[in-house]
Order: sequence, then C-alpha cells, then structure tokens
Amino acid sequence: MAERKIRVLLAKLGLDSHTVGVTVIAGSLRDAGMEVIYTGLRQTPDMVVQAAIQEDVDVVGISSLSGAQMQHIPKVLDRLREEEADDKLVVVGGVIPDEDAEALRAAGVDKVFTMGARTGDIADYIREWWTERER
Amino acid sequence: MGDGSKAKASESTDPDSGVLDAAEKTWRREVLEPALAERGERQDEFVTQQMHWPVKDLYTPGDLAAIGFDYQKDVGFPGQYPYTRGTNPAGYRQDLWTMLQVTGFGTATDSAERWSKMLDQGLNGFIIEYDLPTTNGYDSDHPLAEGEVARAGTAIDTLADMEQALELPWDKLQHLSSVCNAPQPVNLAMILAALEKRDIDPSSFTLQMSNAILIEYTCVGRYIYPPKHGLRIATDCIEYTIRNHSNWIPISVVSAQLYAARATPVQELAFGFAIAMEYLDATLARGFEIDEVAPYWSFITGLEMDFFEAIAKLRAYRKIWARLMRERYGAKTEEALRLRLMSSPGTTGLTLQQPLNNIARLGIQTLACALGGGAYAITTPLHDEAHALPSEEAVRVGIAVQNIVAHETGVADTVDPLAGSYLLESMTRRMEDEVFAEIEKIDAMGGALAAIESGYFQKELAHSQRERHREIEDGTRKQIGVNHLVQEDEKRSIEMFKLGQEAETRQVARLARVRADRDEELVAKTLERVREAATGDANLVPPILEAVKAYATQGEICDVMRDVFGVYHPDSLTSGV
Repeated sequence: MAERKIRVLLAKLGLDSHTVGVTVIAGSLRDAGMEVIYTGLRQTPDMVVQAAIQEDVDVVGISSLSGAQMQHIPKVLDRLREEEADDKLVVVGGVIPDEDAEALRAAGVDKVFTMGARTGDIADYIREWWTERER
Repeated sequence: MGDGSKAKASESTDPDSGVLDAAEKTWRREVLEPALAERGERQDEFVTQQMHWPVKDLYTPGDLAAIGFDYQKDVGFPGQYPYTRGTNPAGYRQDLWTMLQVTGFGTATDSAERWSKMLDQGLNGFIIEYDLPTTNGYDSDHPLAEGEVARAGTAIDTLADMEQALELPWDKLQHLSSVCNAPQPVNLAMILAALEKRDIDPSSFTLQMSNAILIEYTCVGRYIYPPKHGLRIATDCIEYTIRNHSNWIPISVVSAQLYAARATPVQELAFGFAIAMEYLDATLARGFEIDEVAPYWSFITGLEMDFFEAIAKLRAYRKIWARLMRERYGAKTEEALRLRLMSSPGTTGLTLQQPLNNIARLGIQTLACALGGGAYAITTPLHDEAHALPSEEAVRVGIAVQNIVAHETGVADTVDPLAGSYLLESMTRRMEDEVFAEIEKIDAMGGALAAIESGYFQKELAHSQRERHREIEDGTRKQIGVNHLVQEDEKRSIEMFKLGQEAETRQVARLARVRADRDEELVAKTLERVREAATGDANLVPPILEAVKAYATQGEICDVMRDVFGVYHPDSLTSGV
C-alpha cells in the first residue's frame, strides 16, 4: 500500500487554454514519483469529476488562468460531494486574486497555489497530505 | 599599445588580426590577469539566459573576423537586403514605431469606450483581444462559455456586436489588429460587414489579422478543427484579403505565442518560420507568385529580459526572412524580402511578486525593441498582467513607457545604433546559423503541419517550459522578487481591473435580442451556403460574409464547419502535457 504511487488528475476547465503551468506541474509531479493524468482542454466540472472517479485519483489539481475560477471550481467541489468523492485532495493553481483564493478555500479547496509557487512545494504539500492520510 | 590596437580595431576586421591578437594576449597577461589575481570573476561561467550560449568576457574585432563578418553581406544598409539594420531606410528618424496596446474587455460597448479613450490619449491603434468563447468559436450562451463571456477580451457573437465595437474616432485610427485564429473567417466577415454598415472605407486604415491557427495547435490551444482544415480556412482568409483588400495584413505569424510558451529564440524563429512557410506554400498553391504574397506576411514577437539576445533575435528575424524569401522562394521585390515585424516586451518576464518591478522590466524590454531596430509597431503589456486583467492605470503606464523610450533616451535618433557591436554581430550570426539548422530539421519531417501532427513542436516546447521553470526554482536564472531579493512578508495591493458577471448577463441578453429579430429563413439559407463551401473547396469567406450579414451567430457558423471538418482532440503526445 505504501508503495502505491499517488495518483493526480490535472484538469483545465471551460475555455481556459493556458497550458504552460499544467505542463510544468505535470512534469514535476511525475519527477516526484506521482502518476499524472491530464484531462486535456475544455472540460466541464462534471467531466472532471467523472474522470477523477474513473481514474481513481487521490488528488484533483485544477489549473486556472482565464479568470473563470469562481465559475467552475465550486461546481467541481459540489459534484465531488454529490458523488461522495470529496475525500480527494483538491488543489488549485494559476492566476487567482487573493479574494478568490479565500473564497475557494471557503468552498472546500484544500490549497491554492498562485503563480510563482514552487513546484517542489506543490509536490511536498501533496506528499505530506498523503502521509498524513495514510497514517 | 592601447591606442595602437584601438586604431586597428576601427579600421578592419581581418588584415591586421595578428597584431590585434597579440595586443589582446598582452592585455590579458599584463592587465586582466593581475586585476583578477586577488578575486576572480563573480561567476564560474556566464551564459545567455535563453540559449545558454557562453558569453565571453570581451568581444573584439577578432570575433567578427572569426565568423568572416562582412558588413555589406551581413548587415548592409537600412532598408536594404538583408535588412539586418531594419526595414525602414530612415529608421525612427522619419516615424517612430506605432504604439499599440492589447486590450479588449466586456461587451462591445465597454470596449469601444475604452479604445476611443486610448486613441484620444495618443495611441495610433490597438489590438483587439476577444474573450475565450469568441476565439473558440462559441456563442455567449453556449454552456462552455459560462463565466468566460466578456472576461479576457471583447465578446462578439454577431454582426450587431461588431458594429458596436467599431464605433470609434476613425480619424485617429491607423492600425487595427484583430486577434482571432480558429474562427478567423467569421471575424473577418464581421469586420467587413460592420465597416460597410458604418460606411467606413476599408482602405483608410490597416487591418492586421492574426489568423494564426498553426500556433494554436502548437501551443495556445484555441483550435477547433483538425490542423489541415485549420490551414485551409486560414488560407481562404489570406486569399480573400489579398484579392480584395490589398492594404490589409491577412496573416500574422504570432511567434510571440511561441515565446510566451517558453520557446527559446532559436525554437521561436525556426518554428515560426516553418509555420510561415506552411501558410505561404498553401497560398502559392492558389495561383499566386511569391512577390505578390510575401509582402503580406507579418510576424509578432515578444522579447525576453536578456537584452542582447533579444536584440540579436530581432535582427536575425529580418535577415533570415530575407534569405528564405530570396534563396528558397526566389523572391525579388523589396516588399517581399522585407519582413514586417511587430515586437513587444514579453509577459513571461513579468512577475506576480513585487509587481511594480515589472515597470522596470517593460522599460528595458521596450528599449530592446527599439534598439532591435525597425520593428514597425511595439506593444507594451501591462505591469499588472501577471496579476489579473490590466487596470486603467497600467494602460497609462504602458503608454508612458513607450513614450519615455521614444522621447527621453535618444535611441530613436540614429538608425540601428548597435550595428557593428562585436558581441551583437557574433550573436546575431549564431542565431541565424542555428535557426537555419533547425528549419532544415523541420523540413526533413515534412514541414510545420507534419511537425504539429506528430507532436514535435509541442514536445519540444514542453521541454523548454519545464527547463525554464527548473532554472527559476534552482536559482540558475535570477528573477528579482521571485528567487532573489524576495520580500517574505510581501502584501500585494496593486489595483486590479474588475469585471463582474454583469457584462456576461448583458451580452447573453443582447444575443437573445439579435436572434429574436432576425430573418431565420435567411439565416438557414446562408448557413447552407457555408456548408456547401466547406464541403467543396470554394473560398469560405464570401458565404460566411452573407451569413454574418443575415445575423447568423459566430457559433452557428462555426458549428456548420464543425459538422463538416470534425473537431480536434489532441492525445497526450500531441498536447505535450
């Protein structure tokens, strides 16, 4: 069990097509020994939740750079709860103004990483959460 | 001794190189080494930021001799082949560059108001950015559009919106750029129809279309149809424009997007030129001669913080284009050999941390744009772009930065002041050589379309993106406020532009009104014409223009083409992630 790789779904919601961040994160999480599944572009909240369940991921990472984070991300959280899949860690990264970051945390996002966050910190955060959960 | 070598240096680059070599050796032994005896250099090695090319401690005429530098052949005179010194013979002594700003937000009415204000403030033109539903070919009431309407740019669903958007002080407008790629023919048709409605002469200004669909597949992601259909549609726009609006620019190789996707300068130029040649070959296949069409090609690039690399890049751009056109395509006219190049400070160098520092970065990059010579238009991104969408104050500062460089520094008063720099000419040559080598590699793959279909460009860019990020994280590349002089307790308080849900609601309501008021039969009939053209090989622009005039929505027109061409879903390999 301890040897199982942490499985992470990386998602892009709606029409946001900026992929540099998600490309970098995918690479660094793989380097950190995690399994990364990428949804591709133009996903709806429901598509992301279905993918998270089907792929049996531990972590859902959402990248948002278009400004529509408040539109889509709370819906992902609602859908996860409805599907009783809200034991997954939900992290968000991208261009997120402070007040949106606060609102997202209030809505149930575990952690928001804004531009400039260190990839190592993201991997560490996920790993610590995992270790804590497995304990 | 010092005086002797200086006189030789200014004279020639080779005949007396032996004397110069000896002088340099003496200088190293007798002057430099003692100076460094107690404390060596501050770094073990110095390399350029992007290419990681070694940077020597000193460049001399010997470096030019080593590459066989020939003034006439490598640099020449401004406005003459190979245009290294710029495409305008008079540099900026005649006209300064065109000062542009990328903007667009809200509904067409909101944007027109802002654009009019910018023109009144002294800009000559602007670049229209559309919101994501518009650039992805969806209407504002499409489920995927929710939350994105009128957010990252202007929302245009129908001709009614474009009519509104183009309510501008036309006497002040010289240049209008429209950044729309996948749905470009619809966008072109809407602009044409709106001008006609407003009775504005299309030849009174320059419309520059991005029409850069191959870049979308490579790195931006706002594609709709499979790549070969994307190329056909782009070629339809090019052909239509050349035949009907000969003063407009129907294609921009937005290599700035490659740069924004962290392409190195060599990748940016090589991929950009390969893509440009793919459009060119497709257009030539429509029965044109190279000298008729090449003058329409334009490039839009962005600059990095490495100053000399950035300037070398701009110079290499013009020289490589001139060589490709002459050597590969046999172009003969000045217009065909002269590259139309727009450059801008890049957003990738901007930081979220200590955002006001970005004003300094913009100033330096704008200076590099100006020194790179002959860029005919410069756009300044905004210092708070890393944060969110630009505020009004940021727009003002962006305009000021360009004017400071233009009027306070003197760099615009002589043509290409850096030509002949031992360092810069060496670097420009290296860039040229490496770009040609990469272009040959892409040729061997079958060109840009094949390189996109196989995922080569995407894979290479993903590598550069990860590499760049690693360098910032491990501190190899210093970024102030990010990994150097970090302010641990930084509290961000910069003004940010806000736009609420309200614009989306207004836009969706407006779209519903347009749909309710139009002649549905005419819409259906014109859409059928679009389908016929898409199925065959007739140019798509004329039937789309008819559909637009009947107030068919952009989404409806794109849906017809989705039906005919299919929708593109890259797999994990071709997405690069």
